Amino acid sequence: MQFDDQGRVNKSKKRAVFNQPEAKNRVELFRHLPQYEHGSQLTDLESKFLELDSMHPAVYKVGVQYLAGDVTGGNARCIAMLRAFQEVINDYSTPPGKTLVRDLTAKISSYVSFLIECRPLSMSMGNAIRFQKSRIAKLPLTLSETEAKAALCNDIDRFINEKIILADKVIVRHAATKVRDGDVLLTYGSSCVVEMILLYAHELGKQFRVVVVDSRPKHEGQALLRRLLAKGLSCTYTHINAVSYIMHEVTRVFLGASSVLSNGTTYSRVGTACVAMVAHAFRVPVLICCEAYKFHERVQLDSICSNELGDSNDIARVPGRPDVNSMDNRTNEKNLQFLNLMYDATPSEYVSMIITDYGMIPPTSVPVIVREYRREYLLI
Amino acid sequence: MGAQKKRAAAAAAAARVSEDPDDLARQPLQAILLADSFTTKFRPITLERPKVLLPLVNVPMINYTLAWLEAAGVAEVFVFCCAHSKQVIDYLENSEWFSQPNFTVKTIESHNIISAGDALRLIYEQNVIHGDFVLISGDTVSNMSLTQALQEHKERKKKDNNAVMTMIIKKSKPSPITRQSRLGTDELFMAIDPNTKQLLYYEDKADHSKGTICLDKMLLAENPSISLHNDKQDCYIDICSPEVLSLFTDNFDYQHLRRHFVKGLLLDDIMGYKIFTHEIHSSYAARIDNYRSYDIVSKDIIQRWTYPYVPDVKFCGNRATKLERRGMYRALEIEQSRSAQVGSFTVIGYGTKIGSNSKISDSVIGEGCTIGSNVLIEGSYIWDNVIIEDGCELRHVIVCDGVIMKAGAVLKPGVVLSFKVVIGERFVVPAYSKVSLLQQPTVHDSDEELEYADNSSGTVEFSCTADQSNGEMTSESSEAHKPKLGTGGVGYIWSICEGGQEEEWRHSVAPIPEDKLTELSEAMDDDQELVTQDRTALSTSGELISDSNASEGDDNEDSKDDSVYFEKEVEATFLRAVEENVKVDHVILEVNSLRLSYNMTSADCAGAVFYSMMKLAIKTPHSSAIGLLTLYPSPFSMVASNAYPIYLSGELQQNTANIITTWQKLLKSYLLEIDEEIEIILKFEEMCLESAKEFSPLFARILHILYDKDILQEDAILRWADEKEGADESDKVFVRQSEKFIQWLREASEEED
Repeated sequence: MQFDDQGRVNKSKKRAVFNQPEAKNRVELFRHLPQYEHGSQLTDLESKFLELDSMHPAVYKVGVQYLAGDVTGGNARCIAMLRAFQEVINDYSTPPGKTLVRDLTAKISSYVSFLIECRPLSMSMGNAIRFQKSRIAKLPLTLSETEAKAALCNDIDRFINEKIILADKVIVRHAATKVRDGDVLLTYGSSCVVEMILLYAHELGKQFRVVVVDSRPKHEGQALLRRLLAKGLSCTYTHINAVSYIMHEVTRVFLGASSVLSNGTTYSRVGTACVAMVAHAFRVPVLICCEAYKFHERVQLDSICSNELGDSNDIARVPGRPDVNSMDNRTNEKNLQFLNLMYDATPSEYVSMIITDYGMIPPTSVPVIVREYRREYLLI
Repeated sequence: MGAQKKRAAAAAAAARVSEDPDDLARQPLQAILLADSFTTKFRPITLERPKVLLPLVNVPMINYTLAWLEAAGVAEVFVFCCAHSKQVIDYLENSEWFSQPNFTVKTIESHNIISAGDALRLIYEQNVIHGDFVLISGDTVSNMSLTQALQEHKERKKKDNNAVMTMIIKKSKPSPITRQSRLGTDELFMAIDPNTKQLLYYEDKADHSKGTICLDKMLLAENPSISLHNDKQDCYIDICSPEVLSLFTDNFDYQHLRRHFVKGLLLDDIMGYKIFTHEIHSSYAARIDNYRSYDIVSKDIIQRWTYPYVPDVKFCGNRATKLERRGMYRALEIEQSRSAQVGSFTVIGYGTKIGSNSKISDSVIGEGCTIGSNVLIEGSYIWDNVIIEDGCELRHVIVCDGVIMKAGAVLKPGVVLSFKVVIGERFVVPAYSKVSLLQQPTVHDSDEELEYADNSSGTVEFSCTADQSNGEMTSESSEAHKPKLGTGGVGYIWSICEGGQEEEWRHSVAPIPEDKLTELSEAMDDDQELVTQDRTALSTSGELISDSNASEGDDNEDSKDDSVYFEKEVEATFLRAVEENVKVDHVILEVNSLRLSYNMTSADCAGAVFYSMMKLAIKTPHSSAIGLLTLYPSPFSMVASNAYPIYLSGELQQNTANIITTWQKLLKSYLLEIDEEIEIILKFEEMCLESAKEFSPLFARILHILYDKDILQEDAILRWADEKEGADESDKVFVRQSEKFIQWLREASEEED
């Protein structure tokens, strides 16, 4: 939805489950993206808990987790949502005078719009929802309600297992063949599949060093670093400002992705494009690790038209340094706008290879996967 | 005239050591640098060279301290030299420290000083310190800024004249397993007032076996809030007021800065001197106390936490060094074979040669060393002019100047080779051993401060012999001790005795071995189990009978114990009441409180009170009874030797009746319902059978008395009789005895009906 279209915004506000005050000073270029004042939403949503009769508690819980930032990462968010839908289906009974297929689809749509309110959906989640809806639509009419419910739950289980968990395992196997002794692997932020690759290669006894590049304000790399160190890997930690310095030593770059688009563009945590470009300039191969269910047929050329905006306070403040406060009380200044982008798009020419559950492919082959396998997984 | 006078007065005031804080602020900052640690942790190296001159990443330690003092704005430093004072003074004279423009270094020399306390007393006598000063030892590395700490110190001083010292502390996580800090010192426990930052408690020798510390409860009573820290590290940088020196003079038994002085001040509440802390967060400060901290501080320097005091920045006398990628520092004119692998975080000094296929990682190599081919060096500190021949292996060791390692020699982790030792071909030096040209001093005083004094004399001896006949001596000793260090080896392996093998790994440069860690963590688990066991043991022992405990105690034994205690307590209370003529109401109160604390029912109280009354009746000597006994010595006299006097039944009955009449109010207050009355009868029955058989013939009569006095109602007696109906014959003895009485009661009640 275009958030610079006032009429539509007002319409959607009427439907909204809870109040989200919109941020005042927004960057002109990103007016079409939703940006809210952070802080009060969670309490507002919590206070509405008893009023939300139509909301299933499992969905409500996942929504709060998205809003509070307790569940992050493409896979984790997708699995949490699917599990919640599983519970919804289990507890579902068709109201008299309605059909299961129509009513359940409508219900799920309303839950999805609630989840979008909590945090914009990732493309992988969009794919999962599309899969879910197509499964419901394709239910044979001969099935009884219990049979239909069991079939749907089973479908969700299969999706999670085959498209996420098994896919990760296959990716790890593929990627580990690309790790050689003496390598210096660089990763940016925290991607769970890259973490699995590093740990697996370490278990295989390969001798390599890891460079974890991190950035403000989320510092996701620190959690990754902690887990890697606990497993005994030798690591270097640096921030993205120093990426051009550290790239001299690096032999391979492993990056995760939120989504891979059909023109080969990788849509991922903001900063990924920068790392990939620096690596490209240093002639270091960039390997994107991404499950095929995150592939999307959309084409995107920049990171402007579709993105997510974070809390502007996060970049105004330095956590743990109360003495650095020159931005305090400036968040409402008229001629100052904070831009905290969450994602960016990496053009395909900076990506050497995409490692996915269907194998290791060049970015130009993404449309093939989207075209050939999309039908398959929608049908499972 | 007047103006002149005023000016003169002002001049005079300025000439004196002014107490005015503003004047103090303008005074140049002074520092006392103790160039002696007064311990023996760095032996055997310190037998030949003072600790402050030992190279730390190829620069003598004292340079780090002096460079920091200069940068921190100290104007005048008094270097106190004791052991090897000549070496220290010679070094300083040849260095550039004496020729700095705004920084004067003066040395104070003394040979018969055995502790930091003595040193400060001597400095006080010399009267050179005029204002606040920084007290530091010459083995401290820091890059902190003193400005804020000094400011705080002065402001506190202005408000409170007793705030004499500010200690610098830094956060450092100690290991719960080894119970030592990262720097290899013992875990430190500090209690600090979070608001004022006053230091309230300091303990670095906590009871490790138990993992507990004892806090004076007055600490908690006197302070509104306390934060107890175990994650702080003492940086051994103190900002002191001049009073500190006089305090040392006043208390001539203060030797150790922390163990005596700090603890002494904290305990002494007469003078009320206070110590405050200043915590640093982003800057670095650490003292090298043992081999482990030597290792860790070296690594911190290489990893640049101590910037600007790092090898590639010239801060004093260090040679030009270039920093390469991944923390590799190289000085000039290094000859390195192409096949040699030099890993990350290594420092290689000027003019060193490295042979082919040698591997070096995480190590510091000094100047002018020669390293052969196929040598493996890992985590080691190799000082200047060391020759390591082909195929040697060194892991986590310290190798001093001029050592020669013949081909194939192996140093196990934790080895320390002192100056000019020669290790023979293929000789394996066992882990944690210390090798020196000097023999281990045999005299060991228990007091480590005193020990040092012995050493310094020993060193003097050595230096003469070494000067006179260097070559001679080495050949001699090599002959005498050939088997000890392999063929061609020179030196003595010191036997480990200080602290024993057990403690050696704690302070060594080598990382703590895996097996020790697992051993310790297991021991720790055991400890925790012990603690929990202790807790359960305590609760069952009955020492701590709390209400919750008693109510929880469904254990039969427990409650039985309780009731016995309770009975005894009640009896004691009752007897006291009789002796002291306490009012009945008060006795009731006391028994009630006992009842509550033991969680008993009023039936229990009634039983207990009745029991004590009956006991009293037996004990009370009756004048006539004594008379009778003396007149008629009878078979009873045998029993009379017991505690209980013997009565004729009539007298006992009389006694009982008297006591019951006097105390009936007490008894009645517990007889709320019929159940309690039955309890009394049962109790009485039990007494007659067991503890006070004297009553057995009187059972029926006393029962009657109780009935007459309205203590027992007929219902209770009848109910008791009914209950006993079905019992064994042996239990019915007393029912039989009082059959007549019961019969009478029954008839009476029927008549009433």
